[in-house]
Amino acid sequence: MDLQSDMNKVRLEFPILERILPNGKPLIYLDNAATSQKPISVINAITDYYTNYNSNVHRAVHTLAGEATEAFELARKSVANWFGLPSGGMVLFTSGTTDALNLCALGWGKHNLKPGDAIVLTEMEHHSNIVPWQMLAKEYDLELRWVNVDSETYQLDMDDYKSKIIGAKLACIIHTSNVLGTRNPVERLVEIAHEVGAKVVLDCAQAAAHEKLDMKSLNADFLAVTSHKMCGPTGIGALLIASGIFEQMQPVQGGGDMITEVFKEYSIYQENEHKFEAGTPRIAEAIGWSAAISWMEGIDLIAAHKHTLSIARNASDGLKEISGIKVYGDHSNEDISGVVSFLHESLHAEDIAHMLDSMGIAVRTGHHCAQPLMRRLGISATNRASFYFYNTMDESKAFVNAVKTIVERFG
Amino acid sequence: MGRWPEKLQEVIDDFSEALDQMERYEMLFELAEDIDELDHSEWTNKTRVVGCQSEAHIDIAFGGDGFHLRGSSDSQIIQGLMAVTAIALEGLTPEEVTGFSPNFASEMKVLETLTPNRANGFLNMFLRIQDEAREQLG
Repeated sequence: MDLQSDMNKVRLEFPILERILPNGKPLIYLDNAATSQKPISVINAITDYYTNYNSNVHRAVHTLAGEATEAFELARKSVANWFGLPSGGMVLFTSGTTDALNLCALGWGKHNLKPGDAIVLTEMEHHSNIVPWQMLAKEYDLELRWVNVDSETYQLDMDDYKSKIIGAKLACIIHTSNVLGTRNPVERLVEIAHEVGAKVVLDCAQAAAHEKLDMKSLNADFLAVTSHKMCGPTGIGALLIASGIFEQMQPVQGGGDMITEVFKEYSIYQENEHKFEAGTPRIAEAIGWSAAISWMEGIDLIAAHKHTLSIARNASDGLKEISGIKVYGDHSNEDISGVVSFLHESLHAEDIAHMLDSMGIAVRTGHHCAQPLMRRLGISATNRASFYFYNTMDESKAFVNAVKTIVERFG
Repeated sequence: MGRWPEKLQEVIDDFSEALDQMERYEMLFELAEDIDELDHSEWTNKTRVVGCQSEAHIDIAFGGDGFHLRGSSDSQIIQGLMAVTAIALEGLTPEEVTGFSPNFASEMKVLETLTPNRANGFLNMFLRIQDEAREQLG
């Protein structure tokens, strides 16, 4: 069986991909970098929880609470295993990558960085890995250093990184760009940071969808991940912390589940993951994420990504042949996700997106929460088609033909 | 005969008869060409329509011949919607403009296909025109 046939089989497990839109067009979903679709097993796992054992976790002694607690904590183990959490590390559940990065800034940064300390960011960062650090820098008088992106190669300027990291305490790096698709040489970036004693937080929101991340080999101090871009539900993600980090962190939120005892004068916090998970946790979402991981374990992610890359490359090559279109990102590179950002010289990105939508094709438009990168590229927005392993070569071709039709008719 | 001014009703009828959304977009692109265009050099914070993802600018006046709109946008769809608004309100008095319903855009079957941001952008533009008309009334 060839790769496309394998992927067609995988596609059948995503009911939404059979959707016919109100205008009668079959859906071609190319907005996977924003959120992926969910296989039926994930949908069923969430339905099963709400149908059969919905209960709050941890404290009650009844049967449902026991079942829910077991499933919830099993989800934590499944996230830890999937991401290769190193010994002594922890999985702190959050609402997503943004929440994880904010927890990193407020739970760790606030208590371990002092005035004058430097944080290294790259121009490729998503706003979620910029704004929390800006807020912290403003409040605690920290220095933010920016690593340049080469607007021709779409790669980080490594010399600039090597120079900026000297004397810094933390590097905040996007693993894989949500705009360019570029997979940064994160292993080397972490190594360089550690050589000068800086800790590293990796924003893996995009990366986790395309490759099996292993925190042990990445050797980062923090990994921020999310469920919904890797076939799991929205509303849950995690900050994965390396051994020794837990002791350096302080909780950001107070309330139920994060304490062992509360007195009028003070409270004693839990000394486990719950210390950072105040309030009723995201139970259904954790169970759904765990189901997504089980499902992902059943597919060959390397082959799946090879397929994604081939259809993304087809789109990129096809778009480049259309008059007035510029593609942002180097799709000849092997280290790239399924993202294809592009812009027409005169047609507004949002006009193109509306027209594609009327043809049944879902893409994203805008600055993609990466305005410093947009400025580096000299633009304010792009159209972004983002492919995933369940997309087909036929969809990729239909997308290119649709853009061609739009440009011929309106450009 | 419809309940809208004649020229606007013609536009609404044309849009209603369009085969599909792409044809409606094509019509908006054509209308965008015919607008009394506000040159980019005249774009200021005062002319800017807030709430649009695209750059959209309008300048309106109530002269001896009533309402007149000049506008432009980097989005042809938005500029087309501006052009329809100009057709709808051309020559009206400030009082007539304040009482004019923006529902014509819905009847053209274009608004529901726009993102909420864009639909809001159109409504913001329309409300701003009505605010300026109210100022004329004193």
